Amino acid sequence: MTPRSHTAASAWTGALLSLPLLLFLSVAVAWPLAHLVGRAFTAGGGEALGQVLAAGRYRTALVNSLGLSAAAAAASLLLSLGPAWMLARERFRGRDLLRTAISLPLTFSGVLVGFLMVVLLGRIGAIPKLIEALTGRERLSGMAYTFAGLFLSYLYFEVPRAVMTLESAFRRFPRELDSAARTLGAGALERLLRIGLPLAAPALRSTLAVTFSASMGSFGVALILSRRFTVAPLEIYTEMTGFLNDDVAGALCLALATITLVVDRLLSMGQRR
Amino acid sequence: MSSETVRKLFRRTGIALTVLLALALLAPILITAAGAFSRAEWYGQRSEGAEVASTSALFHYVIETWGRALLRSGQVVAAVVPLALLIGAPAAWAFRRRPFPGSRLLEAAAVVPLAIPGVALAFSLIQSVHGVPRFWLLVGGHLAYTLPLVVRTVGNAVETLDSSLESAARCLGAGPLERAARITVPLLLPSLILSALLVFAVSWGEFNVSFLLASPLLQTFPAGLYLTYTTNSFPVAAAATLVFLAPVVPVLIAIQAFGGEEFHRGLPA
Repeated sequence: MTPRSHTAASAWTGALLSLPLLLFLSVAVAWPLAHLVGRAFTAGGGEALGQVLAAGRYRTALVNSLGLSAAAAAASLLLSLGPAWMLARERFRGRDLLRTAISLPLTFSGVLVGFLMVVLLGRIGAIPKLIEALTGRERLSGMAYTFAGLFLSYLYFEVPRAVMTLESAFRRFPRELDSAARTLGAGALERLLRIGLPLAAPALRSTLAVTFSASMGSFGVALILSRRFTVAPLEIYTEMTGFLNDDVAGALCLALATITLVVDRLLSMGQRR
Repeated sequence: MSSETVRKLFRRTGIALTVLLALALLAPILITAAGAFSRAEWYGQRSEGAEVASTSALFHYVIETWGRALLRSGQVVAAVVPLALLIGAPAAWAFRRRPFPGSRLLEAAAVVPLAIPGVALAFSLIQSVHGVPRFWLLVGGHLAYTLPLVVRTVGNAVETLDSSLESAARCLGAGPLERAARITVPLLLPSLILSALLVFAVSWGEFNVSFLLASPLLQTFPAGLYLTYTTNSFPVAAAATLVFLAPVVPVLIAIQAFGGEEFHRGLPA
């Protein structure tokens, strides 16, 4: 066999083995998304898209989703830096147990997180009850149903994602660079600014991408908690099942998916997966 | 202060922060668990039409009420786990060992669903794919969000695999099937098991796609949880939550044991 025909045969083998994946992605992802985009060019779909993008409740829902997801992504990143570093770089007793505990909420669907928030901060939540028992005054009752409750819930499912993403990045940091800089006389601050941050930047960005995408798509939390503050996935559900308005639901889906995909791509630009 | 003292202080603060974070994440789960086992007045009425006096009766009630949804979730997971492995693992191997024109593009395309909100994909599936039973649409939606995990986990494992073993077997005259069965699959087994666990965990908890695609007869358990939370009393909801968690906890521990670093990426919330 000549090298050339060998390569061709091996490429055919590869293509054949990947064929099921290609077929699946075409039928279950590419085709539906193309259909979604195509809706925007029909008469009803175009009108609905205009409606969604014009000032009003739909645009408010999109802006709310964007703001809430961005804020929760940033806050969860800050909260997770320290613990992720500890899990990745330090050895201490109970570390694996802590990691498992922190990763537990990763599998929780949004409704479960919403329910846990009600347990903590609902009208007869544990925290208001505790405060009442301690001080005799009723405080924070029903906070779960406010913006703060929604924000805390998003943090609840984003922090584990952020910790795990950061941890695996921190683990791959070369220790030698840091000790070399130390040997060459660089102070702690200088090492952080000139070695730590440049090394961490891709990890920070991919953490933001992971948490942001998860929040944009989250739907169960808002389904349980949302009272006045609405988010886009909830509006999609309401339009689809409540008002049977498929044109508006489709336009909202298109806008939400586009925003999420664009932000995700921007954050992961120039990175290996 | 000497740098050693600073380092120690830094370390202690770090450990304390990590413990605090873990406790904050666990606290609501523990309170919920207490709700299923406690008889305290504060947790509310235990009876739900039927007389639910004891804790075992409470769980019995939950399983009786949500048995069908549990079964449905089990069926979905039983279809999704093998399909995700069968579709994802050969492709992941091919991307590394038998690259072909467009293989990089296909690999990148496989992770795109992670940035597509589940509601949007579910809506598009309903609108565009006709003549497919809802159960299989649901399985398709789950596959879209679990395949990236398989492609990534197995892909990383193939990368670290010594290719000389495969070449040696080839030189010794082993055919492709024999090489796969006797060399590649056994060597990739840990990553295949890890993938299966990850797919299980995601599929079991998936709500965004399932809830939109579920007809009343096709509720998965997470969708059933939503109904419990909105209609049942606290102890019943708490017990249902524990039933949901029961298979998740051992799976998570197993995932940690198999070194599931890539776990985090792109689990739909």
